[in-house]
Amino acid sequence: MIGAGRGRGRIRAPRRLTMNLPLRQAFTKDEVDFEQTWEVLHKAFREIHARNASNLSFEELFRNAYKLVLKKKGDFLFEKVKQLEIDVLDNNVRTQVRRLATPTILITDTNDSSSIERRAAGEKFMLQLTKSFQEHATEAGMITDVLMYMDRISTSEGRKTSVYTVALALFRERVLQATANDELAVTILELLEHIILETIALERSGEMVDRPLIKASCRMLENLYESLNEQESTRLYLTSFEPKFLDASREYYRNEGKMLVQEADATTFCSTARRRLKEEEDRCQQSLSTNTEPKIKSVVEQELVSAHITDVINLPGTGVKNMLDNDKMEDLQNMYELVKRVDSRLKPLRDAVHKRILELGNEINTSANQIATEPPSKARQEKKDTESKGKDKPAPAKQLSQQTVAAINWVEEVLKLKTKYDKISERAFRSDNVMEKALEVSFQDFINENSRSPEFLSLFLDQYLKSSGKDKSEAEVDTLLDNGVTLVQYLADKDVLETYYHKHMAKRLLMGKSISRDVERQMLVKMKMRLGNQFTSKMEGLLRDVELSENLTNGYREHMTKLGEGVTHKIDFEPSILTTTVWPITIPESDRACIFPKEVELVKESFEKYYLSKHTGRKLTWLPHMGDVTMRATYEKGAKPITYEISGPTYCMVILMLFNEHERLTFSEIQQLTNIPPDKVTQTLLSIAVAPKTRLLKKEPMSRDINPTDVFSYNEKFEHSFRKFKVALVSEQSNKVETAEQRKETQKKADDERGLAIDAAVVRIMKARKTLTHQQLMTETIDIMKSRFHPDVAMIKRKIESLIEREYLERGADSANPSYNYLA
Amino acid sequence: MSNHSLLRKDQLEVSLHNEKKLIEEGVLKEDNPLDLTEDFRRLCEASRRGDLKVCQEMIQEGANINAKDQYDYTPLILASLCGHYETVQLLLESGALCERDTFQGERCLYNALNDRIRNLLLSYDYSKSTDPLQPLAAHLTSLLYRQQPRTCDLTVAAGNDKDPFELHKFILAARSPYFKKKLDTAPETTAWKLPSSIPQQSFGIALKHLYLGELPRELGGGPGTGFSDSEILAGVDRISKHLEIKNLSELILDNSDRRLARQRRQDDVQFGVSQLDAWFRNNVLYHAIEIETSKANDVKWDRVNGIFADILLRADDDEDEDEDGDIVQKLTGDTNVSTNALGIPLGTGTPSRSPSRSRSVRKSKLYPCHKAMLIRSEFFMTMFDSHFKEAQDTPHLQIIPIDCSPAVLEIILAFLYSERSDFGLDIAIDVLFASDMLFLEKLKTKAAVIISTLGNGTATGMQDQLQRDDVDLDIYEILRAAWTTRVQRLEEFAARYFAYRLEQYIDEPAFAEIVKESAGRIQARQETDTIEILDDIKYYLSERFRLRFEDTGFDEALAAEEQAQHVELQNIPNIGDFETSKKPAGVPTDEGVDMSSPPRELEHEVPPQQEVSLEHEGIIRTLDGEVAGDEFEQDAMNYQILLGKIDTLLDQLKLDA
Repeated sequence: MIGAGRGRGRIRAPRRLTMNLPLRQAFTKDEVDFEQTWEVLHKAFREIHARNASNLSFEELFRNAYKLVLKKKGDFLFEKVKQLEIDVLDNNVRTQVRRLATPTILITDTNDSSSIERRAAGEKFMLQLTKSFQEHATEAGMITDVLMYMDRISTSEGRKTSVYTVALALFRERVLQATANDELAVTILELLEHIILETIALERSGEMVDRPLIKASCRMLENLYESLNEQESTRLYLTSFEPKFLDASREYYRNEGKMLVQEADATTFCSTARRRLKEEEDRCQQSLSTNTEPKIKSVVEQELVSAHITDVINLPGTGVKNMLDNDKMEDLQNMYELVKRVDSRLKPLRDAVHKRILELGNEINTSANQIATEPPSKARQEKKDTESKGKDKPAPAKQLSQQTVAAINWVEEVLKLKTKYDKISERAFRSDNVMEKALEVSFQDFINENSRSPEFLSLFLDQYLKSSGKDKSEAEVDTLLDNGVTLVQYLADKDVLETYYHKHMAKRLLMGKSISRDVERQMLVKMKMRLGNQFTSKMEGLLRDVELSENLTNGYREHMTKLGEGVTHKIDFEPSILTTTVWPITIPESDRACIFPKEVELVKESFEKYYLSKHTGRKLTWLPHMGDVTMRATYEKGAKPITYEISGPTYCMVILMLFNEHERLTFSEIQQLTNIPPDKVTQTLLSIAVAPKTRLLKKEPMSRDINPTDVFSYNEKFEHSFRKFKVALVSEQSNKVETAEQRKETQKKADDERGLAIDAAVVRIMKARKTLTHQQLMTETIDIMKSRFHPDVAMIKRKIESLIEREYLERGADSANPSYNYLA
Repeated sequence: MSNHSLLRKDQLEVSLHNEKKLIEEGVLKEDNPLDLTEDFRRLCEASRRGDLKVCQEMIQEGANINAKDQYDYTPLILASLCGHYETVQLLLESGALCERDTFQGERCLYNALNDRIRNLLLSYDYSKSTDPLQPLAAHLTSLLYRQQPRTCDLTVAAGNDKDPFELHKFILAARSPYFKKKLDTAPETTAWKLPSSIPQQSFGIALKHLYLGELPRELGGGPGTGFSDSEILAGVDRISKHLEIKNLSELILDNSDRRLARQRRQDDVQFGVSQLDAWFRNNVLYHAIEIETSKANDVKWDRVNGIFADILLRADDDEDEDEDGDIVQKLTGDTNVSTNALGIPLGTGTPSRSPSRSRSVRKSKLYPCHKAMLIRSEFFMTMFDSHFKEAQDTPHLQIIPIDCSPAVLEIILAFLYSERSDFGLDIAIDVLFASDMLFLEKLKTKAAVIISTLGNGTATGMQDQLQRDDVDLDIYEILRAAWTTRVQRLEEFAARYFAYRLEQYIDEPAFAEIVKESAGRIQARQETDTIEILDDIKYYLSERFRLRFEDTGFDEALAAEEQAQHVELQNIPNIGDFETSKKPAGVPTDEGVDMSSPPRELEHEVPPQQEVSLEHEGIIRTLDGEVAGDEFEQDAMNYQILLGKIDTLLDQLKLDA
């Protein structure tokens, strides 16, 4: 420890303010002479304002200011500096600026010569003002640097405004908000704003202006605040200039909008509006402030776009309809961009597009239905008849495809329309969700307008899934099918389509007309992706059956080879085993009792034995009317016997085989011997005894009709130009296309199925909820069914009624508020 | 190690074991090495007792603040265990570590006496406490990219000529022997060209290392840069060998272990700073010119000089020759007797200036400095970034006078160049003012810490303090300095100082003066406003006396007694009985907390107080006579007397409070 006696000096604050540099030796020891120190600073600040600072020493000035602050003279110093700034601004800066504020700037007549003069004067004024400001800001910055210590202390003591802020605020107060000229009643700020607005107006009308100069002015306004605490919102730019600018712009665009609608077409309007928007964007970036961009854009949008866009869209001749029809992508895109700006739901454009698609769609519907429903005119019928006499074969095919043509036609038209609008959506509407949805709805609307669209669609698919769609390449068919499937999702009544497709597919598979099973399967996968599992489950069942049958046949053949019986029979047997519930085939009782020829009967029995040995407990029902047979018949023509290969329906074989044992048989004898239903006998006999090319039997008397008393005998003179030929069943109706009656039947079947589905849905819902009001039950049911079809409200009511009858449900007690209870 | 989930006990043991192994292998450094030195023992002792002064002295002596004693205690654990808030704060501010997820860190937190201390510990995380060099390192790194003001004096262009490196010769010379040699031979060089065989990125990495930047995780090679990562790495290797710096590529690749990486980085920075420090000493200080003040401004330094200085700072000796001479003598004297109890440590870098100089001629000292380092102070930053004279290029180096003594300037420069801030109480106030002027908050805080700890005003464990303090400190000046430089800590310190010696000061006219000044500090004073300094003094006064009352549960008795004070104190014997019966229990013998000091200190403090009391009031004398044997009673009386005196003072000053 160091004792007191050591003679150490006290530790004490150094006498800061009596430093010993020669410069300051004049100061008395403890009192700092404020006036004198201030004089030093004052002189220096004057020099700074005279832009003559390079010889000033920062250290010296800082030290002087520091000294004053330490001696608690900070506030005096602050006031003095403020006074100095006011003096400089009043006497130097303002005078300089005022000198250029000539009254000519404000003259508003549009005389050309004076306008050029005015513009020059304005620019000169603006230049001087911005220059003054920049210089003032720099000078204030330097003074602030020197007074850094004072600012630091004052902020910690609660006075928040720095010297710099005050200096800038003074610039606003003493310069900008002073009157511009003794003769004029406007302030310098107002004058400046006036000039800027004039210049912008000039630029809008297409003249080149000095953008950097405007930018400098705007930056000045942005750096100045209305208040001392420098809040963002009190920037002079925001409080004073921007509102004026927006007002002026609003006025300008209101006029331009009116003019454009009156004089220009939609295309011009759109491109002008978009150009204007771009111009304003550029202006904000290059001469004003980026913060203004959204505001001015909204002005343009309101005044130019919102106010007129609906009119423009509907402009006759040049509006959206015209653009759509003529694929004017650019115009549409312009239009889209504009509408998008003012209405994110795009209502006007959406409506216009919707309307146009509906129009076009309905045209397609009408024309397709005309071809399909209107019975072929007499003339055409006759013409076809004569044709069919001329060349036997193609005629029926052509006649049958009458409806198919309509279907294909319809589908193709729809697809064409869709492709077109898809392209428009992609290119012009940038795949906008709202627009895509609108397109979808439009297509749905008109497709469902046509009650036959499910049938058409199924026919279309059938056509291309059959091997007969041969004039198109595989890839083409593929895309066509793809497109077909896309249309499927627009359908409201998917269950109807399901019924049709099911039926068509069953036929394709049984007749072996399908291109290949792979294609069928792919098709199903595609549908499954769009429509769900439920939709395709039945169809998959069809394919499965076909495959199983094939395996079974092979198994059977192997089995027979093993037994050694296959050789003796000489019958190549190809059964198709169909699960009853999966296949859309109604089996008339009469068709089951056919008596087969002995050889066939043998095969049948042996197969039945084989099958039942594999699957016990099943029952096989034979459907002779669905089968096909290929027979060989040998005719002795002189020395050389001719063997024909005849293929035809099973009944055809059954009847022909009779004549191996009988010379002549009457119609009723045939019917008795075979037990085939009479109408089928007639039909078969028509094709083998009447049809000119395949007259395998002789008929007595020769006529075009079959009568029960007719007698048939073997036609030994039969000739055919080909060794292999096919006996076609004569029928007046197409296999594929339904008659009105059949269609009704299909409809009824679909209705029944719908009924069942609704039943199931209602029961499911009620089982879960136990009690529901009528309204809730309806909504829920409709919700569930929507994916398959649009249920009819009346039908649901009927179904509920019947469920109540069947005691699944009971009515709630309160009759005013109908509800149902589930009965377990 | 610092994954956020809590470690299970077995995991903790495993990681402790691994850590120990690594430490034994010498890979990791022990965070808390065993330290049996006398200094450290004293530090621990002081931490235990909450003796700020000794703590500060020992820290300045260089005791390892993070070491442990033979019972595995660190000073921080001791201080937080014994509940000395200010001591904990001082230790943390001086770099004591309390890191969660380490054994010692968790122990420290767990042992904290109360939540206040615990929260204080938690608020000092790794980045705050352990890396005091970080600001300096960050500044150096920023120099690599700084455009304004321009401080670089060497341009190194890479092969492709774009983005040349703008460098500082003095940093290169300080950090790399290679550059030093090269620059020594040709100090006037202003541009180099990098051979194209060296990838620019490699050179960039090496530079970043020289400028104390963190090594990058990405090498920046790959397509488009002209070099692959491995080429860059090879380049780095070559450069580091060339520049005689550590093997950088190893450091880059071995960045995975966070603790290791951190340790390496700390070592690197430490080493770098010590290099800078050495350079500063050997060049800036070494080349400082002492000259007569009148001629100081005529000194001409060439722009091109061996130590790459670009500015001269001038400091003049104090006018008051007597005092200055005394300080110098005192300084030299102190170095000789550095082991004595006061032990004001001299910054090792402060050279003893020759005291033998003529008294009639004032001297100045000129320090050749580098703007790049000076701009760490906002003052210099603004200066060099302005349009004033100082920012302009002149054929000879500019001389900038700095308003302080050379000794203070040296401390400031040492701080700017190497973050060092060791200085004694004797110039602490000068440093406080200078750093306030130059906006060096950290140095200012440091000065305040030194004043408030070394000139300690607490009554704990200092027998001879009262006499000594009287001589050492002009507390009035310190309080005024605190007001002027707005250092709250010093205001509190002064208030406490007054409170603990109020009997000495209360009657001085200077005290009345300072109370008046304090009252005047609140502008537009209302009647209800208080006088800050008196409030503080009263607070510490109550602390000073209550400390004792609380020890013995005397609080309630005191309250009763206050009312009874002006009445005859008949029941004193009773209280005395009560006290004496309590007293043995009041002296606990807890081993961890040394409670033996307060009573001991009491005995020593009594006499002066008694004297003071005897001097003034007649009542005291009678009271003294009655209760002479009971110091508690006496304390209570003294407390009241002092409060009364304050009131009298206020009346005299016509102030309300």
